[in-house]
Amino acid sequence: MSNHAPIAPDASRSTAPVLAVRGLTKRYPGVLALDGMVLEVRPREVVGLIGENGAGKSTLLKSLVGLAQPDSGSIVVRGEEVRLRGVAHAASVGIGMVFQEQSLVPNISVAENILLGAEGAGVRGGLFRWHRMAELAQVQLDKIGSAVSPRARTDSLTFAQRQMVEVAKVLALEERTAHEPVVLLDEPTSVLEREEVETLFAQVRRLRERASVVFVSHRLDEVLEISDRVYVLRNGRVVAEVDPAEVDATDLHHLLVGRESTGSHYHDDAQQEPAGDVRLSVRELQTAGCDKVSFEIRSGEVLGVAGVQGSGREELCRALFGAMPGARGQVLLDGRPLRLDSPRAAVLAGVGYVPSERRTEGVVSSMSVTENLSMAHVGTVCRGPLIDGRRERELVDTWVRRLGIRTPSGDTAIGTLSGGNQQKVVLARWMVSEGLRLLILDHPTRGLDVGAKSEVYELIRELAASGCAVLLLSDTLEEALAMSHRVLVMKDGRITACLDAPRGGKPDPVAIMEAMV
Amino acid sequence: MTETAVETTGPGDDDGPASGAARRSRRDLALLVMPGAVLVLLLLALSTRNPDLLSPDSLLAIADSAAPLMVLAIGVTVVILCGGIDLSIAALAALSSVLFAMWIPLFGAAAAVPVIAVAALAGAVQGLVHVKAKVNSFIVTLGGLALWSGIALVISGARTVPVSDVDAIRWAFTTVAGLPSAVLIALGAVVVLGSVLRLTPAGRWVRAVGHAEQAARLAGIPVGAVKVAAFTTSGACAGLAGVLLVARTFSGAPSLGATLLLPAVAAVVVGGTAITGGFGGIGRTVIGALIVIVLRVGLSLIGVDAGFESIIYGVLIIGAVAVTIDRTKLDVLK
Repeated sequence: MSNHAPIAPDASRSTAPVLAVRGLTKRYPGVLALDGMVLEVRPREVVGLIGENGAGKSTLLKSLVGLAQPDSGSIVVRGEEVRLRGVAHAASVGIGMVFQEQSLVPNISVAENILLGAEGAGVRGGLFRWHRMAELAQVQLDKIGSAVSPRARTDSLTFAQRQMVEVAKVLALEERTAHEPVVLLDEPTSVLEREEVETLFAQVRRLRERASVVFVSHRLDEVLEISDRVYVLRNGRVVAEVDPAEVDATDLHHLLVGRESTGSHYHDDAQQEPAGDVRLSVRELQTAGCDKVSFEIRSGEVLGVAGVQGSGREELCRALFGAMPGARGQVLLDGRPLRLDSPRAAVLAGVGYVPSERRTEGVVSSMSVTENLSMAHVGTVCRGPLIDGRRERELVDTWVRRLGIRTPSGDTAIGTLSGGNQQKVVLARWMVSEGLRLLILDHPTRGLDVGAKSEVYELIRELAASGCAVLLLSDTLEEALAMSHRVLVMKDGRITACLDAPRGGKPDPVAIMEAMV
Repeated sequence: MTETAVETTGPGDDDGPASGAARRSRRDLALLVMPGAVLVLLLLALSTRNPDLLSPDSLLAIADSAAPLMVLAIGVTVVILCGGIDLSIAALAALSSVLFAMWIPLFGAAAAVPVIAVAALAGAVQGLVHVKAKVNSFIVTLGGLALWSGIALVISGARTVPVSDVDAIRWAFTTVAGLPSAVLIALGAVVVLGSVLRLTPAGRWVRAVGHAEQAARLAGIPVGAVKVAAFTTSGACAGLAGVLLVARTFSGAPSLGATLLLPAVAAVVVGGTAITGGFGGIGRTVIGALIVIVLRVGLSLIGVDAGFESIIYGVLIIGAVAVTIDRTKLDVLK
């Protein structure tokens, strides 16, 4: 396939790239996910990719393993342009990915997973030769010095161990393609403990002896620690290529957020002091992933909850909305007990919830903007038992205008709108109710572009000013700090800190980070 | 041909929402027009064989014979719109026919009321088991199918139960203003159910649950109650269908349902309601039921053996689903 001779260890600084991305562009409706992305990966180097949500990281990775087809631009592997058709095709040219959400089959052995689809000598006459399978898998596990047994059942391993098995699986490409593979690591540290991260980093350094690594993370310090070179992505483009030795996390942070990181983005001036009484009182809330959590939110207050994945904050949101079966605890909304077993009951009590998975949980994408907007409080546009079409249109027109929702008409299927406009419809769904007392926002700006984010922030400010209590889970710490009156920090299902964040007196992100990890 | 060009250069399985939706709306349009066109073409084709087929009398006769099937099919449409399936409808209709025939001596013409109530209750029980015990609707209603036909066999002694007093069921096979009463009753059911689905919050909820159950739940829609109501409706329709069947045959028969399930499901999918839920409606099922009946009439008209009917239903169901299914929504096929 390639005329290049295998690269000797001393050629690790060679500039001939194993993988080059040239002007890759990918447009989704309303979002330009990749906008002429240009980058390259050289032999035996660790390339860091950082960017906020929506910067194009995941679309780029998907393109590199053939799960997304770019609209234009090219992917060049060892000097040859390829048009990747899928994961198997990408593997055949030596590109493998360790997925964030993991892609191993749980109920088979480690060896079967490592060799899945490429059993080779492990199978003869259609039958497994278990000894040979174990030996073949062990070869891959040895490359990363893993102590995991190839005969172990995959679902008996910890997350970190399974991740190592995935790395071993990708390394098996080495023999299959007779090239050093390119290993894509998608947010590999997001659910790892600190010491597991150390182990992973040791492995990545080992990997560098025999492969190129693309390391994607939103944790700047980690990227700086492990990478030889770092690309900073923003809005589908590479905005900077930096040498980790020459920059620090603050520099990267500025590059990441660009010039939008000013007060007006978050509408700081609109933050008012919450004047109301306690609206939500939570005592010893207990649910899967959440251990005896107690806190209060006042009317008109935005309470941010910070925490890494697995901190229990998502579960907390769901439990308060009645969507976590088995949740227990004393929860009072304006002094009245709130049922924790039914989202319906929560809605009727004046609670709203904006889920983080907008496309699958937030909107019913085949239904119209109108139907989605009036979904939770359709009773307000009914006359007797029937929906009053005219009143519903008036309601929708009002909110479409008020929130500046860009849609051809109310009858348009909501799935055809951009993410930001979909999200505004979901927010309007709750705001139509005059009885809204508490709005739970689970990553409300995820996947939105900068302009749409700012509009959502403005709406949150307005809601708080009107006396609604807001529980906010943010994508970034910066967002949580800027938007909240107080920030709760959660770790391993417990609250580890609570900091005041008044206008002009926002706490130091470092203090929060310390309580988070 | 620009449109096709855009599509072919477009992505494969990683489809963005808008291109998917554009394709979907073209599909929706096709699904809207196609069943009606098929029905008209079918009638025209058969009329070349027998010109009398398009006379008002013969069309009314077709509608009359379609009434029980139509009622049965609109009921199961509600369940399918929710994303479920009800395989018990035909068995429940058979049980209802037996109960109706047996209760006429007790209640006279009013026997239809307790019969429909019992059938609705049976549907509600299936719905509750499905929702509360979290058993697939396929399994619950497959069990129901066996259960209700078993009960029908036991209480009838596995025999046809003749109607003792034909006057008591005359209301169901007379004509009103020149129209068969069975057709009027079926139309009434169609109008009521169609209005509920189109004009009330409940109808909205049914479609939302069918399209995206989790999103519906998190918007505060009472998903469990919606499903139980759908199965109750389906049961009540099966009960009414049983009553209409008795009015056609003057007897209740435990075996009556055996040949009804396939045509009823065929009517729903041929009408263009998506078997995956959310998309479709009562009007489509009315067209679908007419297609099925006209096909049946046509087959006997051109002298095809009745045994072929079942073969045709089988092909029809698979073919209709293959045409109507929204593949953009399918992640995993089981």
